[in-house]
Amino acid sequence: MITEELKKADTIPSEIIEIVRDSVINTFASISGDTPTCLEDEEPAGPLNGIIGNIAVFNPELTFSLMMAIPKETALNLSEAFIGVKLPFDSHDMGDLIAEIANILAGDVAASIEKVGFRGQSSLPTATRGSDLTLFMPNRPPSAKMKFTGAMGEFMLSMVLSESK
Amino acid sequence: MSKIKALVVDDSKIMRSQVKRALDQLMIADFEYVEAMDGEDALDKFNNDDEIQMIFVDWNMPKMTGVELSRAVRDTGNTDIPIIMVTAEKSMGKVDKALNEGGANEYITKPFTADKMSKAISRYIGEDGGLVSENEDDDSEKKSFFSSILNS
Repeated sequence: MITEELKKADTIPSEIIEIVRDSVINTFASISGDTPTCLEDEEPAGPLNGIIGNIAVFNPELTFSLMMAIPKETALNLSEAFIGVKLPFDSHDMGDLIAEIANILAGDVAASIEKVGFRGQSSLPTATRGSDLTLFMPNRPPSAKMKFTGAMGEFMLSMVLSESK
Repeated sequence: MSKIKALVVDDSKIMRSQVKRALDQLMIADFEYVEAMDGEDALDKFNNDDEIQMIFVDWNMPKMTGVELSRAVRDTGNTDIPIIMVTAEKSMGKVDKALNEGGANEYITKPFTADKMSKAISRYIGEDGGLVSENEDDDSEKKSFFSSILNS
């Protein structure tokens, strides 16, 4: 049972990381028409000036938290690709849009990891806008970071595995 | 062209706009919209508006999910109104739950195109742009639709 294996894991299994990476690529390709590339082994650069879309895929035992860190320019490009207009970065609609993209990503991740035995559901998404933002993980849970680039610009995804509470 | 009053339910204003835009792009009916931001809000609007003829509903919303809303509408005895799930949930278990437990007629995954929307709703709309009542083969059509997803 993959849930039992995951509960004992010190790191997120590469199989899960690959599933999430593919989901990110599929999701952004379907939204923007451009297929982003995952930059292997490249650490996210510095603090973020942009917006973070947060969502979780969870079951009663385990939670996968997904945090999409979208720089301002990438967010503006995504809004134009997805809804046809560049939304003002500071608008409520921009938060709504990034949260919805997180929601679409989580739907894809949930369907894909179900195929390897983890049945979960998506939480409601949230978005956090700000400057000089740094993501850090207290207590060092199993986590992974990925950086992507494409016609929309760069963006990052952080994933954390934790026990559900 | 006849008017069709559609209830569009999503906690995302952006997605409500996307649904309305896709429907308007189809130009197969003159849609009039009522919007709701969660299942409870939608059920309240539905119960107080006899003219609502179609429902487009997200799954994952606060207070009441789209499937709960769909079930609540069906439990009022309203079996005719087309309910179209428009959701990011795409696992087969979720599709099955929406169509069978929730009583939804169609299932569209986000992000969607006007073409995908057209395929889902065209059989509910007549040549005059009005709503056509479902025929008795609906269950078999639904199963066929479900099967086509499973086999894709």
